[in-house]
Amino acid sequence: MSHQSGTFPAPCGQKACQVLKDRNICIQVLVMIQHLQRRVDEHLKQLPTTRQRLHLPKQKQAQSTHEQEALLDHLIRQMVNFLKSRATGGLEQQVSLLSLECRGNVRSAQRAQSSRQPGQLVLQWSDIEPAFVSHDLSNRGSEICVLYHSSFQDYNAYQGDKYQEDKNTLGFINLGTSENKLCIDLITERLGQSDMNCIEDVLLQYPDWRGQPFLREEVARFLTYYCKAPAQLDPENVVVLNGCCSVFSALAMVLCDPGEAFLVPTPFYGGFAFSSHLYAKVELLPVHLESEITEANTHPFQLTVDKLEHTLLQARFMDKKVRGLVLTNPQNPLGDVYSRESLKEYLEFAKRNDLHVIIDEIYMLSVFDESITFHSVLSMERLPDPNRTHVIWGTSKDFGISGFRFGALYTHSKEVASAVGSFGYLHSISGITQHKLCQLLRDREWIDTIYLPTNHFRLQKAHAYITNTLQSLRIPFLCRGSGLYIWINLKKYLNPCTFEEERLLHRRFLDNKLMLSCGKAYMCKEPGWFRLVFADRPLRLKLAILRFCEVLEEQKQDWKEKQLADAMKE
Amino acid sequence: MSTLAQTESGTPTTCAGPASTQDLGSSYGDCLQGECSRKPDQKLPELHGVGDPVMFSSNSSYLSSRGRMIKWFWDSAEEGYRTYHMDEYDEDKNPSGIINLGTSENKLCFDLLSRRLTQPDMQWVEPSLLQYPDWRGHLFLREEVAKFLSFYCKSPAPLKPENVVVLNGCASLFSALATVLCEAGEAFLIPTPYYGAITQHVHLYGNVRLAYVYLDSKVTGTDTRPFQLTVEKLEMALQEATSKGVKVKGLILINPQNPLGDVYAPGELQEYLVFAKRYWLHVVVDEVYMLSVFEKAVGYRSVLSLERLPDPQRTHVMWGASKDFGMSGLRFGTLYTENPDVATAVASLCRYHGLSGLVQYQMAQLLRDRDWINQVYLPENLARLKAAHTYVSEELRALGVPFLSGGAGFFIWVDLRKYLPEATFEEELLLWRRFLDKKVLLSFGKAFECKEPGWFRLVFSDKAHRLRLGMQRVRQVLEEKAQVAEDPPPCQTQEPSDQRR
Repeated sequence: MSHQSGTFPAPCGQKACQVLKDRNICIQVLVMIQHLQRRVDEHLKQLPTTRQRLHLPKQKQAQSTHEQEALLDHLIRQMVNFLKSRATGGLEQQVSLLSLECRGNVRSAQRAQSSRQPGQLVLQWSDIEPAFVSHDLSNRGSEICVLYHSSFQDYNAYQGDKYQEDKNTLGFINLGTSENKLCIDLITERLGQSDMNCIEDVLLQYPDWRGQPFLREEVARFLTYYCKAPAQLDPENVVVLNGCCSVFSALAMVLCDPGEAFLVPTPFYGGFAFSSHLYAKVELLPVHLESEITEANTHPFQLTVDKLEHTLLQARFMDKKVRGLVLTNPQNPLGDVYSRESLKEYLEFAKRNDLHVIIDEIYMLSVFDESITFHSVLSMERLPDPNRTHVIWGTSKDFGISGFRFGALYTHSKEVASAVGSFGYLHSISGITQHKLCQLLRDREWIDTIYLPTNHFRLQKAHAYITNTLQSLRIPFLCRGSGLYIWINLKKYLNPCTFEEERLLHRRFLDNKLMLSCGKAYMCKEPGWFRLVFADRPLRLKLAILRFCEVLEEQKQDWKEKQLADAMKE
Repeated sequence: MSTLAQTESGTPTTCAGPASTQDLGSSYGDCLQGECSRKPDQKLPELHGVGDPVMFSSNSSYLSSRGRMIKWFWDSAEEGYRTYHMDEYDEDKNPSGIINLGTSENKLCFDLLSRRLTQPDMQWVEPSLLQYPDWRGHLFLREEVAKFLSFYCKSPAPLKPENVVVLNGCASLFSALATVLCEAGEAFLIPTPYYGAITQHVHLYGNVRLAYVYLDSKVTGTDTRPFQLTVEKLEMALQEATSKGVKVKGLILINPQNPLGDVYAPGELQEYLVFAKRYWLHVVVDEVYMLSVFEKAVGYRSVLSLERLPDPQRTHVMWGASKDFGMSGLRFGTLYTENPDVATAVASLCRYHGLSGLVQYQMAQLLRDRDWINQVYLPENLARLKAAHTYVSEELRALGVPFLSGGAGFFIWVDLRKYLPEATFEEELLLWRRFLDKKVLLSFGKAFECKEPGWFRLVFSDKAHRLRLGMQRVRQVLEEKAQVAEDPPPCQTQEPSDQRR
């Protein structure tokens, strides 16, 4: 085989491919350099403090120094290998063997560590894993790994070391992942009833890939009722897939060509970035919102048509083809609900510019403050551009069953519905699960008289508990009445107020086995914001707050020490 | 000998236009819900690059050009599925409806399965099953899969749960593997005839192509069996792809084979693996029919049973519950690979291909129940498969129709070449349509990229009454054909040698 065949032929031409490839390499190298830099920083910072604080015996100290050094050494070697392998394409094999070998070393080291000390070190090690250069994977395969690890490494650490009342009291408490854990008792009881347990031959055979007709009918009825649609929604406009991220990914595939873009107001749910990039290679252009209240901004992080116009204009200036606008309502992470008027303005803006609007209403039944009215886009008497308006909903949040893997699309465009439906066989839901979902959604009486009232009551209580605590800690936050989270401002604990400091504070939470999400993950423009999920059982919530306060105390203490040290120097 | 599934320029010659598209679409046999794949004569155009194909650009469309293309292919495939579903056979409600002997599903053991799945142990609900999972699959399930495969694949050493990734079906697995092993535009080798839906699986997200290794039915010096795969043919196909500038990254093997119903001998398997190793190719082995070997004499060996794999880091095995447990609607597929990078990369995509925690629990319970599998399910299932197979093969023999069947799978590969007035795929299509007119659905050879027109896949794993009716209709068509034929049928002499295996 000639070396020529190494670069793929056709569609975009050699040159474009090379550019793409180079860009991939750059990304990987950059990620590695970042890790390395971070590691060096931490290495330098940590060593003296660990020595002071823990009074480690000498031997152990030497050991941890040794480990750190080995790690740095490994990282550098890896980068060199990687660069070398790219430079000498033809000698691929040789290098691959080399990198395989050193990969083996790291893996065993990692295993040894994780068994010994499940917390901090695992996280640090998992930092590097994405930098692996695999010769068994394609470039995009490696990139997927890198992207995934950088987005989900904390989550994976949590999966391996969850807090459990009886078994693992030192494990992670997760106030980072948006899950509703307040009503598991109700759901478990409902799912345990006999109507859930039905096996029919159609459920075990190949399904209609858009979803079983009985489920699509039920979803249409459900959305008609809870979204207060003016007319009965059509089951033919419903597509059900295994999760909202799958729906989003499929939508991005069929609405955009690679390299095209969606507008999305920040801060926004980071999963969108992942889902639009991973398969579809669609870009997200942030519409940056600010917390400061001005004349134009009557409330923090307000989205206005001006800002949308401005970003669109900028995009056009950069020659970016914008195909749509992504909105989340109720907002994540802000917890805001759009008023009917502003919603209409956004939709009209989109129509004026021939943009699709994807509206994620996955928190629509999690509006727990009774004084707030949520307006689904499906409730509008006349949509400005119905064929370009696509609504996503799922049971993960409103019913607290993210493990069910269910997401639904409602679109008036039959064309879009059928195009998304063609992804069904890659994102399908088990027939047995479809039956259970249908039974759940159909049981309006249980939902209205038992589930929703209890859920809202418990959300209110948990929300009140957290907001009271935050108030007593004098931590600013946005007090909203929907969603499972609170958007809090920890700016005053950052010195200086940078994203790097935000990252360090975030790391400090993790080191204390508390997961929160930092503002950067939502592309927030201002450093210092965090999202705190409150929809957890009181016991875990209390413990989490304890850890939270400890971290902030530690952070303050550090600051004082630093000031003192600086003063001494002078 | 070999041809690429998609040519680079793609569209112009191959997309004949909407009218003929519809036509072809409805005639597509294997493209029912379960096994949707592209139509016979179309080559998939590249999704991006080469400008916008005229026929896909439409001002009235709300889709991107990529979206329009995806929809177009899907619609044309779905056309056939609709024909069937508009007129599905039902004993009571629609006795003159279409009988489906085209989709490869096992409908023989629903009674056993439903009894097992409704037992109390299946109804377990606990919080961790309702929350976001480990995306590789719950650990309890991966452990059970590892044990299960160790036992049924007869692996020399116990398989490890960390090498297992669980997804919602083997289609997703093909898609994920294609994405993480190949760049866009690169290719897998695949011997034909093969399960045609794989073309779509690797293309939709991955934009990966297939390079065909064409096999023929003729038995000659080196080929001791019809459609025999040899290393020589693999070499030639690889060379041809490379000379066309297409980078081949791997080889896909289906064992037991679909549609041939045959299994690879351990020696052959070893040869293919060594070939792959020589060219640094990944091997994806689809063993989704591994427990559906109903002929006791057939010596099936899983690739996981081999004492030493030539290139374990590049050998990836897939299995699922769709075929062996007759639950295509359950959406369970699993990957076993010793390569941690590949496992991790596939797991990175699992967010998009996950299955419900409750179903994962049920699946684990099922795989764990070795008593039920060994004493109830497998013996009964294999006996029923064998009985159905015997019935259909007797019928075919009585009709004087040659066929291939290797004692595995749910189907018989039937040679109807003598019923084609001319050896063309158009005639194959006409015959297929004749069957459909008589309300029986088969899959034609072109859907499996068979080189020779006139082969059909007939699925026999259906209830006796449906099967009997289906075979009656098949007989009607063939007898009618034989009467109408003015000339003596052309290829009567050439019968595959081992049709009676």
